[in-house]
Amino acid sequence: MITSSLRVPKQGHTPRECEDAAHVLTGPDGSVLAAVADGASESLLAGEWAELLTRTVTDAARDDDCALQDADRFAAALVRAGEAWGEWLSDYVAEREADDRPIAWYEQPKLERGPHATVLAARFDTDASGVTRWDAAALGDSCLFHTRGDRLLRAFPIESAEAFDNAPGLVNAFNRDHDLLARHVRTVSGTAERGDGFFLCTDALAAWLLRAADRGDRPWQMLAEFTRSGDLDGFTAWLATARAEGLMRNDDVTVVHVDLG
Amino acid sequence: MTYAAEISRANPSCFVFLVDQSASMNDPIGGGQQRKADVVADAINRLLAELSVKCAKEEGVRDYFHVAVIGYGHAVGSAFTGPLAGRDLVPLSQVAEKPARVEKRTKKVPDGAGGLVETTTRFPVWVDPVANGATPMCRALASAESLVSDWVSRHPDSFPPIVLNLTDGESTDGDPAGAAWGVQTHVTADGAALLFNLHVSAANAVPVTFPDTDIALPDGYARTLFGMSSLLPPHMRFYALQQGVPAEDLARGFVYNADITSLVQFLDIGTRATDLR
Repeated sequence: MITSSLRVPKQGHTPRECEDAAHVLTGPDGSVLAAVADGASESLLAGEWAELLTRTVTDAARDDDCALQDADRFAAALVRAGEAWGEWLSDYVAEREADDRPIAWYEQPKLERGPHATVLAARFDTDASGVTRWDAAALGDSCLFHTRGDRLLRAFPIESAEAFDNAPGLVNAFNRDHDLLARHVRTVSGTAERGDGFFLCTDALAAWLLRAADRGDRPWQMLAEFTRSGDLDGFTAWLATARAEGLMRNDDVTVVHVDLG
Repeated sequence: MTYAAEISRANPSCFVFLVDQSASMNDPIGGGQQRKADVVADAINRLLAELSVKCAKEEGVRDYFHVAVIGYGHAVGSAFTGPLAGRDLVPLSQVAEKPARVEKRTKKVPDGAGGLVETTTRFPVWVDPVANGATPMCRALASAESLVSDWVSRHPDSFPPIVLNLTDGESTDGDPAGAAWGVQTHVTADGAALLFNLHVSAANAVPVTFPDTDIALPDGYARTLFGMSSLLPPHMRFYALQQGVPAEDLARGFVYNADITSLVQFLDIGTRATDLR
């Protein structure tokens, strides 16, 4: 199993301003855990929250092989991420004070509301016969695609390009309402064969992929060329063209490719 | 599709606020104790604060908008006080960094146990209440048109400028309808400039928000301002409805003796930070 990822900020933004995050781990049992998260542009510290979310949910998936099969367990991981955020934020505020850059009046309301982000995590376990069992859990519109050759076998949790808007479900760092989070979590499981590919994408790329697939194209094949080669410059140039031609919304883009080889 | 342009630092939009500072603004607002001048200054300061917060990121406030505040009363000109006095269009980052002062205000918030607890918030002030002289609304609109015209020629692809006029409606230099139309004739590739009106009135009539007809409006001033107001673009109606504010197909950007701060939430600068329900 080979994993690779690419992350490109929206046009006009610097890489530091990118508020998407991706994280990939290999578990002690050989399982692969991957996550992407997309911080909401209207939030403050959305990128940092997205980063914390991806780390927390991949850790949860590593430590509990059922964490992505059950909405309650995934929601519990999201609550834990929120608790970790509280600690992170205290340090951040203290650092700002120490740097003589106290929190400005215009930052305070957003800090008090806490950042928002979508999150998607997946776990892949391959047995001795070469069959891979996979589980995924998501809150919001970051998407997983399962592909086999020419075919898109599964799009999760959003199956249609028309279903994207600018108000997706989001995890707020101060949301401790476990039941509410669990109601919005979607889970899916399946099996895969050697040669299959999985793509975890944030929304703009996911919407583009679904539109292209609807036209009968096989956009994952082109995407795989960029991810396999790790060609960030080529991917960035291709995104710039796609955005300029109106094929893709100008947004941060992140993809994690899990290639079953 | 119109009113869909991305608002970004590379492609910013602009806001022109017109503030009635005439002597009649000394009168209290209908059904209340507050002077109209206080209500209008408070509304402007809250709008500027909301706009700054909306565009705030870790490194500061992003220049998604450039903002002018034009007062009209004994004179027509910049209504900023403090470090921005005399300026017209100012990048939003500078607005956020340079209020005249930041006051501390108390407000009551839920304590989580069914009660209320008093808390202190910081309230930046850029515009002080003024009530002096006549109401040269036509000149004020002409001044806005000049800023809008210049903006449109320099930013032909931007989200169209928004002009928000806060007034008691009693223009003293003629019928403002023509000057209002003049503002809305300036067009970017994304649509015509928008003119919205907040009418603060001494009449004790029912507050009205984004009406689609002038039938229920209490007087000629209100009907004139309604007629001058642009239709709310579809996405703004959508956000109004999301916030529980009725806004029909032909709803106009007109508010009578009611809060207009929600307007800031109708602007799209990216993924909205909305809570789960």
